[in-house]
Amino acid sequence: MSEFLILGWNVAIPEVDIGNDIFVVQDNNGTLRRVQVKTSKSTGRKLNFSAQFSISLKNLRNISNILLHYVFIARHNDNWSKPIIIRQDYLLEHFENEAGSEANGNITFYFSYFDEKVKCSGQDFTKFVRNFTDFPKIEH
Amino acid sequence: MNSIRINVNKQMDGYSFSITPSIREFIKKLFPNSHPANNIFVGYDTKSDFAIYAGRLENYIYPALLGVEDEMDLYKLDEIQFIDTQTGKVLYKLTPRDEKV
Repeated sequence: MSEFLILGWNVAIPEVDIGNDIFVVQDNNGTLRRVQVKTSKSTGRKLNFSAQFSISLKNLRNISNILLHYVFIARHNDNWSKPIIIRQDYLLEHFENEAGSEANGNITFYFSYFDEKVKCSGQDFTKFVRNFTDFPKIEH
Repeated sequence: MNSIRINVNKQMDGYSFSITPSIREFIKKLFPNSHPANNIFVGYDTKSDFAIYAGRLENYIYPALLGVEDEMDLYKLDEIQFIDTQTGKVLYKLTPRDEKV
């Protein structure tokens, strides 16, 4: 939430949990973004680490007029990793290209973090690290 | 083969038509002057009214979604499939060359 606030966006938490963790909004024009944050504890390896995240397949496929942004953050060595921020349609396309594994209506994405790169099922997710493209900085 | 898949998601208040990022890129490469959209939402009442007065909504959705203005460009596309996002079923398909745009 603090990252969005630093960029000048406002943030709201819904009263009832229906799949959106936070709503992020531009106060001056009402532009709304839906955000779901997923956190995970890392599994450390020698030079890198990995983390897995689970999301609902039904929610991922539920493309509405306001697309959902997923934020994946891993806890590694008492620090938070740089967030992977990926919009729903991009994540769905990666899943349909065989990223992640599906079971019981959920998809598990297993991210490997190595140097400054992030991969999942052999697909490169590095461009989504700290990807605030849809949240441009707002000057107040 | 220039086939296009359009995802259709049925929501509480209407339908959301969308195309994937790779299809948007494909359309931009095929038609450099195009402006493909992420998604278009149509309420149930609008869809119903449209069917009465103008015909099948899908025939008008795909040019708007793909952001292609030139009718001759649309004829370069093969089949357009409208797919239910949740079930994967083909809800409707058309070939632009065979349809009056």
